[in-house]
Amino acid sequence: MNAPATTPALRAKDYKSDIKPIWCPGCGHFAVLAAATKALAHLGLPKEQVALISGIGCSSRLPAYIDSYGFHGVHGRALAVAAGLKTARPDLTVLIAGGDGDGFSIGGNHFLHACRRNMDMTYIVMDNEVYGMTKGQASPTTAPEWTHSKMTPHGTGMRRFQPAAMALAAGATWIARGFSGDPSELTRLLVEAIQHPGFSLLHVLSPCQTFRPEQKQWKEQVHPFADSNTGDPVAAAQRIHADDGMALGLIYANHLPVWQPRNQATSSIAALEEEFRV
Amino acid sequence: MSNLLSQDIESLAEFLAHALELEVESAERYRELADNMRVHNNLEVSELFHKLAHYGDTHAAEVEQRAVGFELPYISPWDFKWSCPEAPESPCMEDAHYMMTKCQALELALHNEIRGRDFYAQVANRSSDPAVREAAAEMAAEEDTHVNMLRAWVAREACVAVSRPPDLDPPHMPE
Repeated sequence: MNAPATTPALRAKDYKSDIKPIWCPGCGHFAVLAAATKALAHLGLPKEQVALISGIGCSSRLPAYIDSYGFHGVHGRALAVAAGLKTARPDLTVLIAGGDGDGFSIGGNHFLHACRRNMDMTYIVMDNEVYGMTKGQASPTTAPEWTHSKMTPHGTGMRRFQPAAMALAAGATWIARGFSGDPSELTRLLVEAIQHPGFSLLHVLSPCQTFRPEQKQWKEQVHPFADSNTGDPVAAAQRIHADDGMALGLIYANHLPVWQPRNQATSSIAALEEEFRV
Repeated sequence: MSNLLSQDIESLAEFLAHALELEVESAERYRELADNMRVHNNLEVSELFHKLAHYGDTHAAEVEQRAVGFELPYISPWDFKWSCPEAPESPCMEDAHYMMTKCQALELALHNEIRGRDFYAQVANRSSDPAVREAAAEMAAEEDTHVNMLRAWVAREACVAVSRPPDLDPPHMPE
């Protein structure tokens, strides 16, 4: 990984906005915010060259807390907005932030096609296995036997959504899992994700202290992936299917052509107007 | 004392870069916690965290002063030589709660201050560079005074091990 030759001009705190986070004290998302600002400082990215796009949810508040361009969009549509922005402004570093519900349920279809398209963007999903902002309902990554919500008193009874497996199958070229309890490693992964040319998915285990207090145990449950053969999609698939959901690190990285519309007009406005003249 | 050093620190400039990061991170985290407690209307603990952030700023300024004339190396966030996931003196976010008491906040600060002291002490014991050993020992001694100050503060508050008060407005709402 390329390190800056000199001390970055901006420190991590310089990328924090004046808006104070309203997340619950103890929320894992604070570590993601810290990792994001440290990654931007490490890469020395000018604030005006970065855009953070999000949907709806606790984690989707992230763009407000970072002093760069930001867009707090519609539920589940962050990737669509980001793709539009990247099309219009390929020079920008585009980061997308969201949660498991926003990204994998409401935005599930956009997720698949963003992976397939392989535009040069980084998607950070803060997964706490719950809809926190609406007071604790089961999300696509919630365990089937979780009964703590009155909406699912007998559990969801459904298998969990597997973000890494779906991303690999859909064509994402960089996939990793991080943990908010290890902010330094999370920063390293995020830097690598941003530097990767193509679509990168950083799946972050980010505990919800309020609605899933038992996730405090994640600290004892996480562990590194056993092997590091990350360039082979078959090995990556095997790694994902053998995974207990708590393994951390890079899962897959491959360099495939990045899709970027050329933004070259094939017709003039005048010619188009002529076509529609009645 | 747990091992807080993943590798030995072998130059004064590298040590000062670590010390500066440790102090700046700690102050930033206390400030973040103070702001967060204010958002959640825990004003007493917010005020305490602001005080601790101010102390952290003072310590960071002292390290900066000490580093004048040195060209500090740039260290990537994940390459610092502490063995813990974050700088040793930074309070862990997950240890905070919106209903935490002043005593719990003081205990958290004491825990972090001890870790900071132990980090410096381990550098002092392990580095092969006499200048690093000397500077680290000085900082460990200074941190020890902070530890004692905090212990006295905890004693003044007559803190006893208590659980959080009952939450009269709990997060799980009827649907």
